[in-house]
Amino acid sequence: MRIRRTAGALIAAAVVAILAACSPAVSDDDPGSSSAATSSDAAPGKDATTVGVIAVGPKDDFGYNQAVYQGVEALRKNFPKIKVLDAYNIPEDDTAATTMESMIAQGATIIFATSYGHLDAAKQVAAEHPDVVVVHQGGLLDDPAPANMGSYFGSVYEPVYLAGIAAGAATKTGKLGYVYAIPIPQTLANINAFTLGAQSVRPDVEVTAVSTTSWCDPATQADRVQSLLGSGVDVVTQHQDCTKTIIEATEAAGAYTVGYHADASSLAPKGWLTGSEWNWGPLYSDIVKTAVAGDFTGSDYNANYRANMASGKNPFVASKFGPSVTDATKALIADAAKKIEGGGSPFTGPITAQDGTVKVEAGVTPPIETIEQMDYFVKGVTGTIS
Amino acid sequence: MIIDLLAGAVRGGTSIMYAGLGETISERAGIINLGTEGSMLLGALGGYAVTAHTGNPWLGVLGGAMAGALLSLVHAVLVVSRGANQFASGLTLYFLALGVTALFGVDYVSRQINSFTPYAVPGLSDIPGLGPILFDHDPLVYIAFVAAPIIWWVLFRTRVGLLVRTAGERSEALGVNGYSIKAVRYWSTVAGGALAGIGGAHISIAYANSWFENMIAGRGFIAVALVIFAMWNPLRIMAGAYLFGIALSLASVLQTAGYAVNQFALAAVPFVLTLVVLAVLGKRTMLAAPDELSKVFDNSRTA
Amino acid sequence: MTQEAQGTSGTGTETGAGTIPEPDTEVSTVSADETAAVAAAIVATALPAEVPTDRGPKISAGWSTGLRWFVALLAGLILFGAFVLANGADPIQVYADIWTSTLTQSGQFQQIILRAAPIALAGLAVVVPARAGLVNVGGEGQLIIGGIGAAAAALWLTPLMSPWVVVIAMMLFAMVAGALWAGIAAAMRLVVKVNEAVTTMLLNYVALYTMLFLILGPWKDPKALGQSTSVELNDAAKLPVIAGTQIHIGVIIAVVAAFAVWFALTRTTWGFRLSVVGGNGEAARRAGMPVVTLILTALLLGGALAGLAGFVQFAGMEYKLRPTFGLTIGYVAFLASWLSRHKPLPLLLASVVLAAIAVSGNSLQINSGLPAASVNILMGLLLVAVLGWTSPRKATS
Repeated sequence: MRIRRTAGALIAAAVVAILAACSPAVSDDDPGSSSAATSSDAAPGKDATTVGVIAVGPKDDFGYNQAVYQGVEALRKNFPKIKVLDAYNIPEDDTAATTMESMIAQGATIIFATSYGHLDAAKQVAAEHPDVVVVHQGGLLDDPAPANMGSYFGSVYEPVYLAGIAAGAATKTGKLGYVYAIPIPQTLANINAFTLGAQSVRPDVEVTAVSTTSWCDPATQADRVQSLLGSGVDVVTQHQDCTKTIIEATEAAGAYTVGYHADASSLAPKGWLTGSEWNWGPLYSDIVKTAVAGDFTGSDYNANYRANMASGKNPFVASKFGPSVTDATKALIADAAKKIEGGGSPFTGPITAQDGTVKVEAGVTPPIETIEQMDYFVKGVTGTIS
Repeated sequence: MIIDLLAGAVRGGTSIMYAGLGETISERAGIINLGTEGSMLLGALGGYAVTAHTGNPWLGVLGGAMAGALLSLVHAVLVVSRGANQFASGLTLYFLALGVTALFGVDYVSRQINSFTPYAVPGLSDIPGLGPILFDHDPLVYIAFVAAPIIWWVLFRTRVGLLVRTAGERSEALGVNGYSIKAVRYWSTVAGGALAGIGGAHISIAYANSWFENMIAGRGFIAVALVIFAMWNPLRIMAGAYLFGIALSLASVLQTAGYAVNQFALAAVPFVLTLVVLAVLGKRTMLAAPDELSKVFDNSRTA
Repeated sequence: MTQEAQGTSGTGTETGAGTIPEPDTEVSTVSADETAAVAAAIVATALPAEVPTDRGPKISAGWSTGLRWFVALLAGLILFGAFVLANGADPIQVYADIWTSTLTQSGQFQQIILRAAPIALAGLAVVVPARAGLVNVGGEGQLIIGGIGAAAAALWLTPLMSPWVVVIAMMLFAMVAGALWAGIAAAMRLVVKVNEAVTTMLLNYVALYTMLFLILGPWKDPKALGQSTSVELNDAAKLPVIAGTQIHIGVIIAVVAAFAVWFALTRTTWGFRLSVVGGNGEAARRAGMPVVTLILTALLLGGALAGLAGFVQFAGMEYKLRPTFGLTIGYVAFLASWLSRHKPLPLLLASVVLAAIAVSGNSLQINSGLPAASVNILMGLLLVAVLGWTSPRKATS
């Protein structure tokens, strides 16, 4: 009796599982979901009527995600006939895939996954929907990229280098503070570029880099920035998704702020020096235009697309200057900008790491792939990569 | 550096202390509230929203306290009146608070507020060492200095405190003497939630000066650990909150000084320390627990 | 104050009549004496003490219970609607969105099933100890540790063995790791008498920080961008997917596990004894049951099940450890277990319901512009209603 029951139970379990597994498989074929494009072998994203955008944080964080939202607004303006679905606070786990699936289920055939950590989910979704264009912001794809996938980004460290010049010129103590999330190539490249920029005008400058291990944890940010300010730092910058807490604390302490991600000068009317901010509108629009025309596959965007200042298309641009930046400093920055636009790089050698080893030989300009795999701090940075 | 560390510990430990004091009152009356994290979240948003609308952070504190109290009131209804399991109710309310603050917090992410600013106490803040550590903070930090002793005094030296503790030690004695056990537990739980709300408000309107979804990031659970660590004693809560504050602040100070730190080991300190204390002093610690609370612990109703 | 507290504590241990017996008095006398007399004693003491079984006294109260559930759930739904309305969105539209996005779209339904699997497994980790009157709040941590175990097996064994061996090893590592993690709480309960709800909760955070340490330190994938993760699991060692779907066999593992737990709890002596311990520890002790062993096995098995959930999440869903690995699954599973009143088969349904609520959050955001996390309100309200108003019992305290 018992045994029979168990067996029955197990069979029931198997049936349940198979039913659960099968019913969707059947309905996958029914028209209406996303099969319009699958049935024909049209180019991915061609004639898209709906675009989906996911972001990891809130759309008004004075930071990375607000910049994404502004890009979404630009898309809505430039493509009044296309419906743009946007979703924020999407964590970097399987929720990202779920959300993209929801968007595809609602007809989206172009998807922007905008957080670094959405990369795995983006790859997965792209593999399952060959008719949908999936582009990822900041990721590095294996070469060659799948026909319906690409990554795009700007040369983030270029404007950060320029902002470093402003910081180096402004500091009185010679101590700059950098609050970052976690040590990954992009944060390290930014910290290094900022340091090199500051050193170009003040060679003895010292940049203290502290990590919060989170892209947005305001209470931890508050603790880190107080500690920096207490140690004599008089210019603070950051690589965090939400920037408000650190900027306000810096302003309250009478120190200078260098912004990141978005223009937050309204938070620091006195201490705002400059910063770097995203201007995604043109790039998002061009990607959508390319895909809608059916030209995505094989285009620049069907790879690791990187726009730098030399191309004139860098979506990451310098923010406006604050009141305390002198004309002399502005001229220095303009000079440096001209060099970079002419093909120079903040990381043109010699670049020496913290421990004294030479990472880039004199006169060499490393390619962007090398910079995006940076794993060291340059000399002049106080901090350890743990 | 030591001064920076201790000043950071006092600032960072304050929110945990408020929540810990609140949880102490509640547990002294026999009610454990895992929803403390939720009360802090609501307190953080309530405090921020009220401050944003009125421009007055003191009203914000009040709003935070009320928001935190409201959630613990639901806890009281569930566990005192409806006999629900305390752990399940607490966790449920944490999720409820997570959702409510996400829903109503959207509008406040980019708002700027007139937050509390540090106030250096004249004279005292000039004392070398002690001054910057203790007397150059926002007003809620100073209130916390006196809140712990006052709550200790109320709990152990007044009739109200006796009622609370009796509810937690031998609740039937309350009934015999004509008091309502339920009423005492309601008030204790709600007071606990209000204090947790103030703790949350401290983070949003005095410490980080911003509102973000899920910004409490586990500090409410640290507070629950703290109460056990401190053996249900408000004065030890104070010491423990600053001790945990040191653990959290150490990551900042060491990094600023250029040392390699294992931030995760530091972040785990409050929890590991509490576990170690329980393991080493386990029997003694649990003996210090209010009896009715021990019953909750030992004989949880699970159906 | 300490003295004062200690003064009253003596009575405390006595008043808690239904508490867990002291280990020292029990261990030796148990095993040999399993005779009919003992069994009789069990039955005699157990009967009055509401043994939670799947069948039983409920039948008579069936209608009223059903009505309570209906009203409670309805109240939860209406309240959530009120919250939505207060935020300026149309509740009917929101419910329509939740309905269509979860039930009418095939891809979404698969997502729900995939999400439900680890919730169900971690929920079983609450169910088993609950049968013995234990509260395991530690599913979250045990799941993470299970994920770490699976990742360790993948990391160390992938170069050495065939993928299938790696899969089996991951599963075993995960279960053992979860069991050991819960074992810490079991040991503290039995040796120093510290309540397991407290210790499992504390251990959740220790588990989380352990994982974060690993993925930002020794196990960091040097190629990871944006967030630190461990190296991705080899394709061949990923859980196989049922052809034509996204459903991996972890879903089947969860269903089978639920039936196995159901069988163990309701059809074996061990399960029966657990219920007796949970219903009336004193009676169990008097009857000479191996209470210590029962408590230990219940918590260890719970931990192993949560570890299994970690394995399914790792090898079936995420393929790598990342800072958000398994985030809140353990807590949601805890709620699922309460929602199902700690019964393994209804737990499957509860897991699907909570997973559906979680998944619906995404489409809620896309369509109604509400933050995804607002569905936590719905989850919270349903639980409040169920915890407070579905059982006929009144307050006892």
